Amino acid sequence: MNVLRYIEGLRNNLSALKKVLIVYLIVLVIYDIVIHIGSHGHFFVDKIPGFWTLFGGIGCFILIKVAKGIAHAFLSKDEDFYG
Amino acid sequence: MDRWIHPAVFFFVGSLLLPLIKNEKAKKFILLLIPVLGIIDVALMQEGVYGSFNFLNINLIFGRVDKLSLVFAWVFVIMAFLGALYALHVKEDGHHIAGNFYIGSSLGAIFGGDYLTVFIFWEIMAFSSVFLVWFRKEQRSIDAGYRYLLVHVFGGLLFLAGMMLYYYKTGSMIFNRILPDNAGVAEYLILAGFSLNAAVLPLHAWLPDAYPEATVEGAVFMCAFTTKTAVYVLARGFPGFEVLAILGTAMTVYGVFYAVIENDMRRVLAYHIISQVGYMVAGVGIGTELAVNGACAHAFAHILYKALLFMGAGAVLYMTGTAKLTRLGGLYRYMPLTMIFYIVGAISISGFPLFSGFVSKSMIVAAAHEEGRLILMLLMNLAGIGTFLSVGLKVTYFAFFSKDEAPIKATEPPKNMLWAMGLTSALCFIIGVYPNSLYVLLPHNVEYHPYTLSHLSEMLQILSFTGLIFFLLVKKLSPEEKLNLDMDYVYRKGGRAFMFIDDMIIGPIDTWWGNLYNKVALKLLFIKAAIAYAFDRKVIDGVVDGTALSVRMAGFIIRKLQTGRVQAYIGFAVFIIVIVIWFALRMG
Repeated sequence: MNVLRYIEGLRNNLSALKKVLIVYLIVLVIYDIVIHIGSHGHFFVDKIPGFWTLFGGIGCFILIKVAKGIAHAFLSKDEDFYG
Repeated sequence: MDRWIHPAVFFFVGSLLLPLIKNEKAKKFILLLIPVLGIIDVALMQEGVYGSFNFLNINLIFGRVDKLSLVFAWVFVIMAFLGALYALHVKEDGHHIAGNFYIGSSLGAIFGGDYLTVFIFWEIMAFSSVFLVWFRKEQRSIDAGYRYLLVHVFGGLLFLAGMMLYYYKTGSMIFNRILPDNAGVAEYLILAGFSLNAAVLPLHAWLPDAYPEATVEGAVFMCAFTTKTAVYVLARGFPGFEVLAILGTAMTVYGVFYAVIENDMRRVLAYHIISQVGYMVAGVGIGTELAVNGACAHAFAHILYKALLFMGAGAVLYMTGTAKLTRLGGLYRYMPLTMIFYIVGAISISGFPLFSGFVSKSMIVAAAHEEGRLILMLLMNLAGIGTFLSVGLKVTYFAFFSKDEAPIKATEPPKNMLWAMGLTSALCFIIGVYPNSLYVLLPHNVEYHPYTLSHLSEMLQILSFTGLIFFLLVKKLSPEEKLNLDMDYVYRKGGRAFMFIDDMIIGPIDTWWGNLYNKVALKLLFIKAAIAYAFDRKVIDGVVDGTALSVRMAGFIIRKLQTGRVQAYIGFAVFIIVIVIWFALRMG
């Protein structure tokens, strides 16, 4: 099947894929800096170039740590907890 | 078209024909014909008020057709078709009848112009949808279905109590917009009843409890109708209620938080319903024209992509026998089409450009931004991170990749399921590329353009860097075979305590009381009945007519309370006392 061949192709070239994605991330940040030139935002979040980069990265990190942390601390029980 | 046909009629009547038809092909034809007739009906509908009846001095309105009800009607009938296609292989007529009654009553609720009509359809929804859980026919599903039903009956009672107080206060049952400044106990009780169906915190636990236990096909229906009917009634009655803006935003984050730690694919998706409905509730709470438009647009887009995700997860469950991520993996080799359709749903919900979530969710975020609600806006964007992280990355990775050799081998699901997923994917894409196809249906005329440079940049940064962190921390995210406590703890454990008291104290009293009743009271009752009968014939008949209305109303409650168990009567007595005290305070 064609679809499958594409997916296998990507999986076999993971290191190349990684490089492409890193370049994409860099371009994305540069693009954001460019569109910020001369623009005036409403809040500080609109004014800082690359704000959403930091927000996405840090937010994701915190979300994983907090969610897993709370789950391990007291939320997670055995699957037959309710019997 | 001058004459208005209620679209629910097709679903009610059509589904009742099913048991009469023996031929398989004819049955499938009817199943698809019902929603097609529904779509044609909605397409031909003109705005106006139809089907108005005077019933016991209450004006019942079955057909309030305006832009707000029409946008929901559109997506309901489209979803009815996609769901019917997905469920075409199901053999049990009962399953189809339950599904169609559920859809029909949802349509009944959104076209209802007064509280009583909405309430009647509201209850049919609960009692028909529970069968979509029970048809799974496993003990867990039967238990979860009972809990689902009890919680919804409780929500219905809140609504009913609010409705009766509202009628007492205003003398009207008309369901219109309520201004936050005028809202008292009656309005807030109605709001609580509506909120329970919208899974607003802390009345949300029924949703992730029941939906993952529903049948593969039933869950696809359930994720579309109950919460979105609730969003409709909130948008109709309660725009601008600050409490909704705050709780809605809390829901967006709460849902993704649980989705990050859940193991069952369908439970992850169920928590995401809470999260996504949170955006809509927040939109209603912010209450500006843009925000309410956003809530409606998001409901429309959400029904489609969430159904698509449930279809994908359901297909995995259907073919492998499990939806637990810990037992899945490596399925891309066996179910590539299912995976692609699932990913379309996942990037739609995450708000990738060119897909439906991008053009709908952003309206609500933009409305929060416009109103200067910075914290709400940041929390909504944080929930957006969690959405892509759990639905887009975690589930896709652990179900379809993660292992080179799949622990459970599978094949693609039946053709009708693939077609349903394909069509739904196409709709998600069309809405993303031609947002105006959705925007023309919205209730308010507001200019909004999703494809601006800064919005594109904002979303792509958030999503891309979420992806980066995911791949750095993927090991930390490994799913675990655990149960995560939620608010249902209160009634599942509380129910145990209740049962303990019941068995130890109330049970014996009940038995003793029952024996006494049989021996003594029944005899007295017969004598009393004979006297009462004579009295009734001579005196009462003349007086009754005037009080019929109030008796009717009370009948709704009493029927629910006639369980014949002492503890229920005690509970009822407490409820009555509270009401009496409240009235006394009001009067005094």
